[in-house]
Amino acid sequence: MENQNTYNYKVVRQFAVMTVVWGIVGMLVGVIIAAQLVWPALNFDLPWLSYGRLRPLHTNAVIFAFGGSALFATSYYAVQRTCQVRLFSDRLAAFTFWGWTLIILLAAITLPLGLTSGKEYAELEWPIDILIAVVWVSYAVVFFGTIIKRKVPHIYVANWFFGAFIITVAVLHIVNSAALPVGLFKSYSVYSGTIDAMVQWWYGHNAVGFFLTAGFLGIMYYFIPKQVGKPIYSYRLSVVHFWALISTYMWAGPHHLQFTALPEWAQSLGMVFSLILIAPSWGGMINGIMTLSGAWHKLRSDPILKFLIVSLSFYGMSTFEGPMMSIKTVNALSHYTDWTIGHVHSGALGWVGLVTIGAIYFLIPKVFNREAMYSTKLIDTHFWVATIGIVLYIVAMWIAGVMQGLMWRAVNDDGTLTYSFVESLEATYPYYIVRLLGGALFLAGMFIMAYNVWKTIAGSKPADEAIPQTA
Amino acid sequence: MSSEKKKQTVQTTGHAWDGDIQEFNNPLPNWWLWGFYATVVFAVIYWILFPTFPIGNTYTKGIMNDITYTTADGKEKTSHWTTRALLMKEMQEAREKQKPFIDKINKSSYKQIATSKEQSAFAYSAAKVLFADNCAGCHQTGGAGVMGMYPNLADDAWLWGGSYEQIEASISKGRKGSMPGFKTRLSNAELNQVSEYVLKLSGHKVNAAQAIKGKAIFEGTGGCAACHTSAGTGQFAMGSANLTDKIWTVANVPAAAAISDKRAAIRKVIASGINRDMPAWNGRLTDADIKMLSFYVHQLSGGK
Repeated sequence: MENQNTYNYKVVRQFAVMTVVWGIVGMLVGVIIAAQLVWPALNFDLPWLSYGRLRPLHTNAVIFAFGGSALFATSYYAVQRTCQVRLFSDRLAAFTFWGWTLIILLAAITLPLGLTSGKEYAELEWPIDILIAVVWVSYAVVFFGTIIKRKVPHIYVANWFFGAFIITVAVLHIVNSAALPVGLFKSYSVYSGTIDAMVQWWYGHNAVGFFLTAGFLGIMYYFIPKQVGKPIYSYRLSVVHFWALISTYMWAGPHHLQFTALPEWAQSLGMVFSLILIAPSWGGMINGIMTLSGAWHKLRSDPILKFLIVSLSFYGMSTFEGPMMSIKTVNALSHYTDWTIGHVHSGALGWVGLVTIGAIYFLIPKVFNREAMYSTKLIDTHFWVATIGIVLYIVAMWIAGVMQGLMWRAVNDDGTLTYSFVESLEATYPYYIVRLLGGALFLAGMFIMAYNVWKTIAGSKPADEAIPQTA
Repeated sequence: MSSEKKKQTVQTTGHAWDGDIQEFNNPLPNWWLWGFYATVVFAVIYWILFPTFPIGNTYTKGIMNDITYTTADGKEKTSHWTTRALLMKEMQEAREKQKPFIDKINKSSYKQIATSKEQSAFAYSAAKVLFADNCAGCHQTGGAGVMGMYPNLADDAWLWGGSYEQIEASISKGRKGSMPGFKTRLSNAELNQVSEYVLKLSGHKVNAAQAIKGKAIFEGTGGCAACHTSAGTGQFAMGSANLTDKIWTVANVPAAAAISDKRAAIRKVIASGINRDMPAWNGRLTDADIKMLSFYVHQLSGGK
């Protein structure tokens, strides 16, 4: 069946299944480190189980293994079908799967061993960085090669977003990871001091903006109209918010460095561009949710749609919250508190997590030649377990974060500090427990998903679907 | 009804992908568009008022936003608006609130601080946070220390003395608590004998013959008495521990049940020695901070 008259579903299947596997791994590590914050003894005095080493493993596994596999699976699926043509190269596509999986395994080994470049979300050492660059360029060749040989005249909006995400992540990764190796597992960044910090957060923020936002908006633009069965609300809005989003996101990175040695003007630029970003970000949410206009009743019966639409609500909420937190006055309270952790997770669990899960539930039966998922009821259960988990998580972190910020800045009438740092830590314990519970619920949802996926694909006879002939 | 009406007025772009994906061409929602413009207007105003744009080697400084503040050493400075100047201003305000109290603390003796309700309350509340932020990392929030590593400040024993002035000296200049290891200078048998004698000093039932031999080493060849005194009561001047007070901070004698384990704990310390270092705080904390901390640490244990 592997010929030019069919879609390449093999690589989609591989990435889709690994999305679920890496989701469980990444979130399990997250639950472990959340537990360590409550009971520090859980690192058992073993260096490779310590918080400082597991935390980058958690972030890398969730962003690049879970999120990355989801982006590969959905973009390969959507780009073929919206271009009505098989992927540009089966061999290169297979290389991206095995290459990406190898990178994840190397990360899972080197990070607990303490091999790190020390750059947040870019911790992997230089040999792995080179491998990432090679795999990513291959991904770009497969994706844009497919676009070039498309059989339909226009490029669908989902592909603009996937394309922007692929190009930008390549640029971000290569520039930020530039380093001088001093050994096989050790290198030093070519940047130093404040410039290093600025390059790092230019990368870090745009990893959020392009990996976790533009890429997942690509998912949204394909899977929501498919699942709803209605046209996208506004083509015009998609054009305007696409260009507005990709042209303003690049400038917002300095808001991660408010109240630091970064020059004041750069902090200001980061802040105002963050505020300008609200509307471009919301464009995607409006387009997704309004697509459902006139078909709201479907939310009652279709749990996949619940995942997709609720993910957009979390997206809208966190893309409003982010700009608010970038305002210097607000940042003075929120910076370095658990509010930031709550904000990140309303984006990561609420937006990225839910939209991925919805898309994978859509995708699995399609590429494994099944009518539907094994159990719709279990999808609904997963939805509620995950949503309750997210709400517990972010509410706990909001309360903890605002409380920490207020305690740190509280001053008595006589000008002395009201609280010591450690008192704020003690006060945070109950919220760490609630956060742990929320995270554990979200992880439990992933196990429900794994069971459902297993029952769906066990014994299936997957085949590559024939490409319909263009009219 | 409304959705049907929309279908008549709003056209799709006429393209279709993957069979059924289409796009309506609805206009941009007005509230969205005006919201976007509003953020741009806000940005422009902000750019004028606050430092924002780099120009060559400098940058726009903003207008009508100058901040004037006094530094810790009394110099008045005026700066265009920056978050750093804002912090300096806040620090100045806190300093001014503290000043009347700090002035009194600086002028008072420890006894005067202790007897003045106002001053002792201020010293206590200020030092509580100073202690938790600077000292508790080693000595723990309650001052109980960590056995074998960081001295307990809440018990009745003092290595370097428990008077206000002695505590102040410890905090201000730091302390190096060191005892040489004896494992090369004393034989195994001798180490056991001295350990036996140290146990006897703190009132344990011991093997009398061994202890007598140990006493000879303690006061003679071992040289222990040079620091710990021949009575074993230690000296504040050297930070040598009182071995007779039944309070242990390095050898964990109370935790060992059997007498042989107690002796082993002591023996281990004698054999390998002690090397503890408390940093000096006089460059990092102000004189008033150290004074208030000394007052606080003094009352943690009831003081001497």
